[in-house]
Amino acid sequence: MHPPSTLEVGSQIIPLMATLMLVVQLLLIAQRMLLTSIRLFAIQSLLLAGIAAVVAYYYNAGHVYVVAVLTLVGKVIFLPWLLTRLVHRIQIHQDTEPLLNAPTSMLICAALTLLGYSVTRPFTSLEKLGNNTLAIALALLLTGFFLMINRRKALTQVLALLTVENGVMLAAVALTTYGMPLVVELGIFFDVLVAVMVLGILVYRIRENFDSMDTGKLDQLKG
Amino acid sequence: MNLDLLNFVGQTLALLLLAPLLSGCIKNWKAKLQNRRGPRPWQVYFDIVKFLRKDMVISEHASWVFSFAPYVVFLTALLAGLMVPMVNAPAPLRLFGGVLAVVGLLALGRFFLALGGLDPASTFGGMGSSREMTISAIAEPAMMLAIFTVAITAGSTDLSQIAQSTQSATWKLLNPAHVLAFAAMFVVLLAETGRIPVDNPATHLELTMIHEAMLLEYSGRYLALMEWGASIKQLVLMTLLVNVFFPVGLAGPQASVAALGISLAAYLAKLLALSAVVVVVETTNAKMRLFRVPDLLSTAFVLAALALLSTFLFQ
Amino acid sequence: MLLTIALVAYVAGMAGALLTQRAERVANALGFGLAALGGACGVVFSVVSLAAGQAMTSAPVTLWSGPIPAVRLVVEVDALSCFFVLIVSLVGLAISIFSFGYARTYYGRKNVGVLAGVYNALLLVTTLVFIAGNLWMFLIAWELMALLAYAMVSFEHEDREARQAGVLYFIMSHLDAACILLGFLVLAQAAGDFSFASLHGIGAKLSPHQRDAAFLLFLCGFGIKAGVVPLHIWLPVAHPVAPSNISALMSGVFIKTGIYGLVRVCFEFLGPPPMWWGATMLAAGTVSAVLGVLYALMEHDLKRLLAYHSIENIGIILMGLGAALMFLHTGHEVLASLALIAGLYHTINHAVFKALLFLGAGAVLHATHTRNMEEMGGLAKRMRWTSLFFLVGAVAISALPPLNGFVSEWLTYQSLLQGFGTTTSLVRLMFPLGGAMLALTGALAAACFVKAFGITFLAQPRSDHARNAHEASLPMLVGQGVLAAACVFLGLFPTVFLKLLDPVTQQLAGHQLSQQLTLANGLVLAGATAQGGTVSTLGIMLMAVCLLPVPLALWAVFARRARTRIAPTWDCGQRGLTPQMEYTATGFSKPLRMIFKALFRPRREVQREYDFSPYFATTLRFESHMEEVFQTRIYRPVILGLFRLSRRLRALQAGSLQAYLIYVFITLVALLLFAL
Repeated sequence: MHPPSTLEVGSQIIPLMATLMLVVQLLLIAQRMLLTSIRLFAIQSLLLAGIAAVVAYYYNAGHVYVVAVLTLVGKVIFLPWLLTRLVHRIQIHQDTEPLLNAPTSMLICAALTLLGYSVTRPFTSLEKLGNNTLAIALALLLTGFFLMINRRKALTQVLALLTVENGVMLAAVALTTYGMPLVVELGIFFDVLVAVMVLGILVYRIRENFDSMDTGKLDQLKG
Repeated sequence: MNLDLLNFVGQTLALLLLAPLLSGCIKNWKAKLQNRRGPRPWQVYFDIVKFLRKDMVISEHASWVFSFAPYVVFLTALLAGLMVPMVNAPAPLRLFGGVLAVVGLLALGRFFLALGGLDPASTFGGMGSSREMTISAIAEPAMMLAIFTVAITAGSTDLSQIAQSTQSATWKLLNPAHVLAFAAMFVVLLAETGRIPVDNPATHLELTMIHEAMLLEYSGRYLALMEWGASIKQLVLMTLLVNVFFPVGLAGPQASVAALGISLAAYLAKLLALSAVVVVVETTNAKMRLFRVPDLLSTAFVLAALALLSTFLFQ
Repeated sequence: MLLTIALVAYVAGMAGALLTQRAERVANALGFGLAALGGACGVVFSVVSLAAGQAMTSAPVTLWSGPIPAVRLVVEVDALSCFFVLIVSLVGLAISIFSFGYARTYYGRKNVGVLAGVYNALLLVTTLVFIAGNLWMFLIAWELMALLAYAMVSFEHEDREARQAGVLYFIMSHLDAACILLGFLVLAQAAGDFSFASLHGIGAKLSPHQRDAAFLLFLCGFGIKAGVVPLHIWLPVAHPVAPSNISALMSGVFIKTGIYGLVRVCFEFLGPPPMWWGATMLAAGTVSAVLGVLYALMEHDLKRLLAYHSIENIGIILMGLGAALMFLHTGHEVLASLALIAGLYHTINHAVFKALLFLGAGAVLHATHTRNMEEMGGLAKRMRWTSLFFLVGAVAISALPPLNGFVSEWLTYQSLLQGFGTTTSLVRLMFPLGGAMLALTGALAAACFVKAFGITFLAQPRSDHARNAHEASLPMLVGQGVLAAACVFLGLFPTVFLKLLDPVTQQLAGHQLSQQLTLANGLVLAGATAQGGTVSTLGIMLMAVCLLPVPLALWAVFARRARTRIAPTWDCGQRGLTPQMEYTATGFSKPLRMIFKALFRPRREVQREYDFSPYFATTLRFESHMEEVFQTRIYRPVILGLFRLSRRLRALQAGSLQAYLIYVFITLVALLLFAL
């Protein structure tokens, strides 16, 4: 048995954490309790922050540390807190039956992941560390979209949007270690932050006006 | 040759004696965690001896299948156990079968268990058989896919070889494929051993029971064989999980006595750790509705499928 | 020589039975006796020639040569033919013995002479299909087989169900014959000759498009015969309504002619296969396997259940063959041979255990006069031997060790697992996923046979028919016993049997694997390559015997004074359990029906009438239906479309002679213009 070099360990840990992000995403798809979903999202973001930190450590890239810290503060602590408070305020704890049942959605997500993997195959060589995290990033994006379509409650849709954003961040961290300027990453981050806060208010308003946060009801707004 | 024989006898004894103790430990710890005193870990031995001594009542509707089933259940569990490496890597019966034979033998035991449940014309038995076969049917693909994943990485369906090849590169255990397969297999373990989110081993309430419902008409020494067989099956599956998916410390073919000692210690430690996890899962979760179980098992299947996809990419 | 005797025996049996049809007993003895003789000769012949190896390939024999030079009937026996002759003879032998007892039920009710005569004719033409040496012989035998089988499906023609099944079978047989004929025409026009020898590797001379077209035609044609989903709809309808011995022959042997055709064409005629052929076959096999067993689970007609299982097993066979084609594409000939062995081994296994199960179902039907499992129960006490044989078949078909189904599925798993490393493209994901689906199939099959055996043979009898059931007659038991023994032999001694497959794989994939597959003097079966695992069903059995003293010693130590009492089953304090309280077949499969409700689309209606409280219903009506998805979603639209089209075309049918003459005239002119 030869002792693994540190880089080798790094290249083991990053795909592992990325895969765990995907696992959390799948659990999110099977989960209908809103509070648990929010916690799952927090775990996923924590993993993302972890990946960013590992990448930053191996490449000595200071600005990636900033991303890690921002993710930690913003998506692991602040947003979950905000959404949890929202859940308590609107007094709805469970999502209604999704369009497709859990086993079917699971299989669809597996297929989407496969799609993600096969699409990103040509780009494998571009990556520096933890090969093929890009595939997982794309899979997160696709399954996040699916989640958004499959659910009815505005809050779960917000969570789905956030996981999509997690996917984008993962791609940014994995693919363009030196590439994407900090400004862009910050831009994306604050964009989403504001979007979620606006959506949170919107959710509250929908609930106030329709006694439900089923976005299906929005079609009543048509003149 | 003598060593082989020793290995065979040793593992047979280990399976027979360790299995009830493990069940007892899990029961005991579960009680502790729920603030009860609970039976002592070795209570299961006394139960088995007591069952053996008791008179037997056989249903008037039962046929020869009813009396045949306990032997099959017991022997298949034992045979399957002899194919899984416990303390040193070449399992005693490794030549007679690998992963596929283990799964096949356990399925054979289940087949007869279910028939034994149907035979005495009791509604409970039929219900248990129906549910058991259903759950095992949907757990099987997840289990196979998880095992295939490690088999593919190792390049063999021979369990000893799988264990050794994963062992030679310990840090590879962190590889996502392996972790995912382990997770999928853990869910399958809960389903196959009748643990809480799927079945409740502690009750005889008809709404929850699966395994116990099939045993309802068994008594005396047949019940002893059935219960013992079930605990051996649990031990086999747990051994499969700790030694094949996580073979840290497993002794190789020509191991010294010291190495065997370390291996035994590592094995017991891993087993107890896994039991502890099972206990925590059982205590913190509620029993699922029967028709929610497919959700859980389909998650396991997708995890295993992802594991497979990962072997495809991260090599 | 022996083969000639076999064929002559079939002809004599056919003639004898038909000539003596006035004397039922004579016809029965003569017909089925000669058929059994023919079967025995066939078994000896094929085993001897397969064991002798390559030397056995005989020169083609011309049976009849017609006035036109190309029209000849030629037979030619090579290793592949021999293997399939073994299947038809072995199964035929057992069924003939069984039928000798079974045909007595028809005395005075039906014409036993015709039954025995047609039965012999069926064995004859099926053997001829397998040993045909040119297209004329093959197609004539093929058509005769379909016609004779049609006669047998509608044997009990008083029954409306049997007549409808016959018609459906007839239509589907013609579809498959048409596809096969077109496929062979594509090949023959390139070869310029109709003998199989000249078709050898003819695919190389065709353009890729022609080859692909021929492959698809053959896949459809032979797929209909074999019952591949979605071309299977005739199979569960036609097989159950025939007399049980014929059902056994149909499910055990006839559908194997489809497999034979696919192997012959894909491995010998069409040349090096592209990847997608194998992938298509593997996918079709996987779908058939899973859907077949799922539909089987929902059946409570014992024979229909078995018929659906044929679809499942054909799927498993196709998985092996598909994998073999994929390996041929990637150039892994050893693996191709392994996968081919897996497919062929499963072919004979399925023939044996499915025939066994159908014979068991026949014995049960004979004893209880019903095919409905909900009216059975408790037969294990009344029909001890039949129940034992049926259990052997059930364990074998559920792919449980140590019987033969396990061995062939083990080989299939091995080839699928090792297939993962043969290519780097995404296609390789099909192998492990196919393996997972195979595991699902196996587990569902086990569930299905727990139901089939448990509801039919165990617990209390659910009707008077079942209560008054009696054991089958001796010939019927012997017939089942032969097949059960074959299951045990094929399960415990695979290494002995694999030697017989050597010439076949040599002929088709260029490798002999029995040496590589055998370890420890034939005790252990190995997975052909270094990565393969090992298994030994015989070893498992021996070890089980070694470990049996463990419980027995415990009895001796602890249970010396324990007594055994027979008592009623626990009835929750009610006054005795009645059969109505037992779990039913429908109830048993309910969890799976709910889990796969997207596929089955179950619909149920409960009407409850009560006086004062819903808990005390006075009458209860329960109805449950499932949508037959393939019929309603695929076949019905096509049929409706055809009707619509023909209604349009009816406008042409004016009824006046002049109009018809005008059509002919216009056609003639159009053709002349086209020729310009």
